[in-house]
Amino acid sequence: MRVLSSNLRLFWQGTLLSYRALFHWLRPAQYVASKVFMPLAQMFFFVFLGTFATSASNAGFYIIGNAIQITAVSGIFGVTMSVGGERETGTLPYLFGTPANRLVTFFGRAFMHILDGMLGVVIAFAWGVILLGLDLSHTDLPALALTIAVTTVSTCGLGLLMGCLSLITVNVMFVNSFVYFLLLIFSGANVPIAELPNWMQAISYALPLTRGIAAARLLVGGAPLADVAPLLWTELGVGLIYGLIGYVLFSWFEFIAKRRGILEVF
Amino acid sequence: MNVRVLFKYWRTILIVAEMTIRQQLMDGFIIFTVLFQPIIIALLALWMLKGKGPDYAIFVVVGSGLTGLWSSLLFISGNSINAERWSGTLEPLVAIPTPFEVIIFGKNLANVIQSLLSMVLGYIVAAFFFGYDLTIVQPWYFAVSLALSVFAFISFGLIIAPVFVMNPGVRAWQNAMEFPVYLLCGFLFPIALLPGWTTPISYLLPPYWAAVSLHGATTVGTAPNEIFFAWGMMVLFSLIDLLVASRLFKLMLYKARADATLGME
Repeated sequence: MRVLSSNLRLFWQGTLLSYRALFHWLRPAQYVASKVFMPLAQMFFFVFLGTFATSASNAGFYIIGNAIQITAVSGIFGVTMSVGGERETGTLPYLFGTPANRLVTFFGRAFMHILDGMLGVVIAFAWGVILLGLDLSHTDLPALALTIAVTTVSTCGLGLLMGCLSLITVNVMFVNSFVYFLLLIFSGANVPIAELPNWMQAISYALPLTRGIAAARLLVGGAPLADVAPLLWTELGVGLIYGLIGYVLFSWFEFIAKRRGILEVF
Repeated sequence: MNVRVLFKYWRTILIVAEMTIRQQLMDGFIIFTVLFQPIIIALLALWMLKGKGPDYAIFVVVGSGLTGLWSSLLFISGNSINAERWSGTLEPLVAIPTPFEVIIFGKNLANVIQSLLSMVLGYIVAAFFFGYDLTIVQPWYFAVSLALSVFAFISFGLIIAPVFVMNPGVRAWQNAMEFPVYLLCGFLFPIALLPGWTTPISYLLPPYWAAVSLHGATTVGTAPNEIFFAWGMMVLFSLIDLLVASRLFKLMLYKARADATLGME
């Protein structure tokens, strides 16, 4: 019982402090700019581009795709920086020096970003309804909320893996920006997956977000939860696999770094 | 800063530009901003605008190149003074007899020139991977438009850098300024799609006039007068930007010396 409570405390403190440190909470403008305005401006850009490419009647396709894709801001950038930031700020040796449970420490880095990512998607949908006329009248809203939650969790799984990789590179921003922008192509947010070449489709289905976006589109179109349940289960599975690979690599990097004495050597 | 200063210190400007490019070739974030991001945007736009026909491919190449120019200006040129501060070289640069804005002009020149690579790569992607036959309808107009765009972007960057230094609150919004300019300047779709109240804002942005002239020079049926007008606007905005930048640099350096905060955030 004592171990459980101390792990819970570690989880909560780790998640809260890493999140606070990331966004310099003394300057809320930085948060609003990076987490609210940037993703919304990006969403508007692709919605206008999409409607210009096809027609205004297709706006829903782009609004839903890009609204869900916003979860990657937290899932990729946020989580990656939370894990990778330990090395940049010189706190990695202290972290590896503690007897703290690594599983709790590792997954704790993603928790706040899951909540934050979900909030970002909800804000995007709200703007989509208010400013771009997205119709949610036929949507099972609790099912859509579940889809948002599942997709955010799975994207954070990929973020954990990226964060782990950022421990062995100096170009953290290159890695996460690259993955973030690739998701814009591969997730089907802006280009229907069926229009992509076969090899790209295979990559799409191996990534988080793809099924989440597809499920959200079906739900907004009036489909019940039962119809999208298989997509959501698979989405969750994909995210968990990425998260677990990230955890295994995290543990392995710690082992190698300690053995060779290269904890802060890039 | 006036144009005479630029002519007087042209050698310094070129050397600063060369050194900046050499230094930045090793920076992953800059490589991403200048090369990879515009290419990914070009790929997306080529797929999305496929239904518009092959004529739009050159529009995408130019538009995605402009996104690279703007992102580079915002993130790299915007931080060109702060970057010196972070590396501890700001004080010596301010102390040397060469005007400080000349150094920043050279850095901006490097950023804008290297960003043009994104247009070249976009061209290669559209021509070789998508098989489009890309033609620049009016090559001479395009060349002049490109030269004026480079000058307009550099001049605009000279305003952004001191503003970001003097107002950390504004710099906090840096991330949020990238896509709005893509939207407002009609890089990849006409601004007529946007609500009418945004049009005057577009007219006040030099990248909008760069987009008008470059798209005009590559698209069939654009009246030369439209391109000439965009050139005029770019020259006008560049001169205004240089004048304002000159005042901003004086103010920034005076404040930094008076408050003894040159090296501090």
